[in-house]
Amino acid sequence: MTSDNHDEGRGGGYDQDHETDGRDADDVGEVGDAGPFPGDDDLLQELRTIVGRIDPTPPELVAAARSGFIWRTIDAELAQLTSDSVLDADRMAAVRGVAAPELLTFESAGLTVEVETAAGPDGVRLLGQLVPARAGSVEVRHGGGSVTVDVDDMGRFTAAGLEPGPVSLSCRTVVGGLRVDTDWFLVR
Amino acid sequence: MTRVSTPEDHEVADLVFRARAGDAAAWDALVDRFGSRVRAVARSFRLGQADADDVFQVTWLRLVSNLDRIRDPDRVGAWLVTTASHECLRLLRRAGRHASGDDDWEESLVDNAPDVDTDLLVGERERALWEAMGMLSPGCQRLLRFLAADPAPSYEEVALGLDMPIGSIGPTRRRCLNRLRIHFARITEGPEGSSP
Repeated sequence: MTSDNHDEGRGGGYDQDHETDGRDADDVGEVGDAGPFPGDDDLLQELRTIVGRIDPTPPELVAAARSGFIWRTIDAELAQLTSDSVLDADRMAAVRGVAAPELLTFESAGLTVEVETAAGPDGVRLLGQLVPARAGSVEVRHGGGSVTVDVDDMGRFTAAGLEPGPVSLSCRTVVGGLRVDTDWFLVR
Repeated sequence: MTRVSTPEDHEVADLVFRARAGDAAAWDALVDRFGSRVRAVARSFRLGQADADDVFQVTWLRLVSNLDRIRDPDRVGAWLVTTASHECLRLLRRAGRHASGDDDWEESLVDNAPDVDTDLLVGERERALWEAMGMLSPGCQRLLRFLAADPAPSYEEVALGLDMPIGSIGPTRRRCLNRLRIHFARITEGPEGSSP
């Protein structure tokens, strides 16, 4: 164990280079057969080349991101995420370690969509509530395509067997003819 | 902070405007230009493959649905890394690995090194560099992994993606690269036994 290793592994810290304080980088000089040390930009470019080869973005992921453009709609109102139980620190502190359902609220001017998701044996189960309560239908869009479910007179709907991944809910009401899409969220 | 717009900014803004108008080729160009940065956010949070893939997907789908709401089209890169970073934190929080007020959360990421294919490293120099990278503190590994996105992210994107003060990025980058050089030198100079 060498003395300048003392700061390694400190929680949340960046390496503090106490001995050199970043001023005498040039003094490090050359190293054996491995070649000279390049400047910062060149060294970073070397890392960039390595990362590009050993950890590239999988092509199928790029293809999926490209084809996601088909979900673009201009005739629906977007309901944006306004509440997320996962990011509610107090609540998480109380239930950490317990498989509690996750609660998300999406709001638009005309409609609020409340969603509860929980992992089950056959995939993710989703319970939803439109506020104010309106009958209609919800198209559940997910990685594998989409499935349309009914919304009852109390504004409730349910979908089961979803694969983990991104989901968006496209809601239509019978009365008023509202069309509201929630923003995309991840289910687990 | 004042920000001078560059020709690249105009190019990016133009892609956003064209995608808004339904131009799929412009959308593809946005994915190609910023994909590596979005991916780098997830990797810098040391997310595993499945989580990193989901963050990547949901980030782009969010851009699809929010394309008309991006306030500064020339800064769509900043929007993307912010969104990806938020999703990463959400997954970490969900897994109980990043409780609020937990200062040591980056430490816990060390145990979850991404599964990269190190067989693809070419030559002694690359293997030594990658090994040296793994010896850096979690903070340095995060920063360098993010800076290694291709094309390189702006400092604004680094600040937003990694939640760092923008003024600390330059000095931290220099310090981390110096540490990388030192580890690299130790690895390539031979067996540890020869040093005191």
